[in-house]
Amino acid sequence: MLKTPWKQKQGTKSYAYLCARVRAMKSKLLPKEVYPRLMKMEVAEITRFIEDSEYKADVDELVQRYDGVNLIEHALNQNLALTYRKLLTISAGESHQLISEYLRWWDVWNIKTILRGKKYGATDEEILESVVSAGQFGYHDLMMIVQKDVPEITEMLSQNYPLEGYSEEELDHFENVLDKFYYEKLTEIEAVRKPKTKSHRLFSEMIRTEVDMKNLKTLFRSAKAGVERERIIDMLIPGGLKLNTISLIKLTGLPFNEFTTSLRDYPYWEEHLSSIVTEDMDSLIGVEIGLEKYWLEYAARTSHYYPLSIVPIMDYILSKRNEVDNIRMIVRGREAGLSDEVIRSRLVL
Amino acid sequence: MAIRDIKPTRSELIELKKKIKLAGSGHKLLKMKRDGLILEFFELLHRAKNVRSELDSAYVLANEKIGLAKAVEGAVAIKSIAFALKDVPHIELESKNVMGVVVPKIESSQVRKDLCERGYGIIGTSSCLDEAVEVHEALVEKIIVVAEIETAIKKLLDDIERTKRRVNALEFKVIPELTEAERFIELRLEEMERENTFRLKRIKA
Repeated sequence: MLKTPWKQKQGTKSYAYLCARVRAMKSKLLPKEVYPRLMKMEVAEITRFIEDSEYKADVDELVQRYDGVNLIEHALNQNLALTYRKLLTISAGESHQLISEYLRWWDVWNIKTILRGKKYGATDEEILESVVSAGQFGYHDLMMIVQKDVPEITEMLSQNYPLEGYSEEELDHFENVLDKFYYEKLTEIEAVRKPKTKSHRLFSEMIRTEVDMKNLKTLFRSAKAGVERERIIDMLIPGGLKLNTISLIKLTGLPFNEFTTSLRDYPYWEEHLSSIVTEDMDSLIGVEIGLEKYWLEYAARTSHYYPLSIVPIMDYILSKRNEVDNIRMIVRGREAGLSDEVIRSRLVL
Repeated sequence: MAIRDIKPTRSELIELKKKIKLAGSGHKLLKMKRDGLILEFFELLHRAKNVRSELDSAYVLANEKIGLAKAVEGAVAIKSIAFALKDVPHIELESKNVMGVVVPKIESSQVRKDLCERGYGIIGTSSCLDEAVEVHEALVEKIIVVAEIETAIKKLLDDIERTKRRVNALEFKVIPELTEAERFIELRLEEMERENTFRLKRIKA
């Protein structure tokens, strides 16, 4: 049986203490002004810069295994995992439950990576290089899972994840099932489903907005690719804030231009989508980045309302992830020779 | 063929005339084949130039898209998703005959796949990945077309070279030698006839 961090009983239930720790951690995030400077640097300079920051220990630890851009990316991922695990360690009670349920996303990500690696026939080392132990599963838990074969893995995990009847031929279906399961579990939490306090209401709105963003992204991609209506409906996650299941179903199975036209009658169009969506758009990357930006800005805005609640912790979780994404965007963008304009448009500052 | 090895007889002359006629028609046919192959070659070369430039731009685009996907999703995520793609494109190799030259004909299937058949889930991935996969599928298709055309060009070039050598050998070596041998036999036969006439006159005298 895998160990779960909330059994360690090291954390505190006090939001005052937890939020003070989180505020201190947030103060160590890179300020906005740093990113334009980073964009002017070469990869080696960015590595040096990263080594002088919060990521020093991770870079030092990984420098013998990786170099260049890969070193930076692995150091960022390791630091993110350690940061999130620290949040799980210092929290207890309700805050711990909410954080761990939210960070379960990484467990789902790791399970998918392991199943993909097993299907491909990758070695245990290759699979372990691609996991990020930022959720409830620690690195040792993941190592233990990776060493098992697929039937053992699915049997062990099917207690907590919908993996009954798993077959490698249907990996994509099970990936969708796992992702949907994650959001369904998240929206079933008492604090999200029936929020009783104002801070819970804000937390609930943050989570349900994320569900809306996820559904919108799925709808955009499915409409662009012309996916069958029934398959799209299977992938939609119930429990969104402004887009309920009926609204979502109405938007499925439409040709792309009709889909974008129909969106005008729904929430998010006026406040956000109208500026980034056109009927004849070739690429959806701009829309996805736009939705991501909207969600992060929304989370950042609401985080100031209740300083001693789960909301600023959520804001920190998202800001940390955003910092890692931004640095990676700059470094990988430099490596791929993307123009400054393209990189800048993908940053969420 | 050395002149000294030739027997100056009438039957040899008849044989040589047959050979010269055969070599002449062979030369004509091979020249026609060479010209035909060259025409075919230039046609293919034109197509090859187009598909090559298409391949180059598809490669640049694929690199750009995978670079963007790595930047947005992370190389670790891309590697993880790549594990899910085990199915390789199905390629059938056949052959066709172009003026006697056997060139490959490559038929590919299962290169382009629908979003739901690519092997990875949709909810947990992004359109960056879709676009990177899409341009890479197009790149694989282009590589297959280029492989077919460039192999055909290589085979045609080899055959053009071989045919050219044969044409030249017939034109500048075989036919001139045979003609020379024919002339030698004719001269020798004339000489022998003159000798015979002279001998008969002497016997008569």
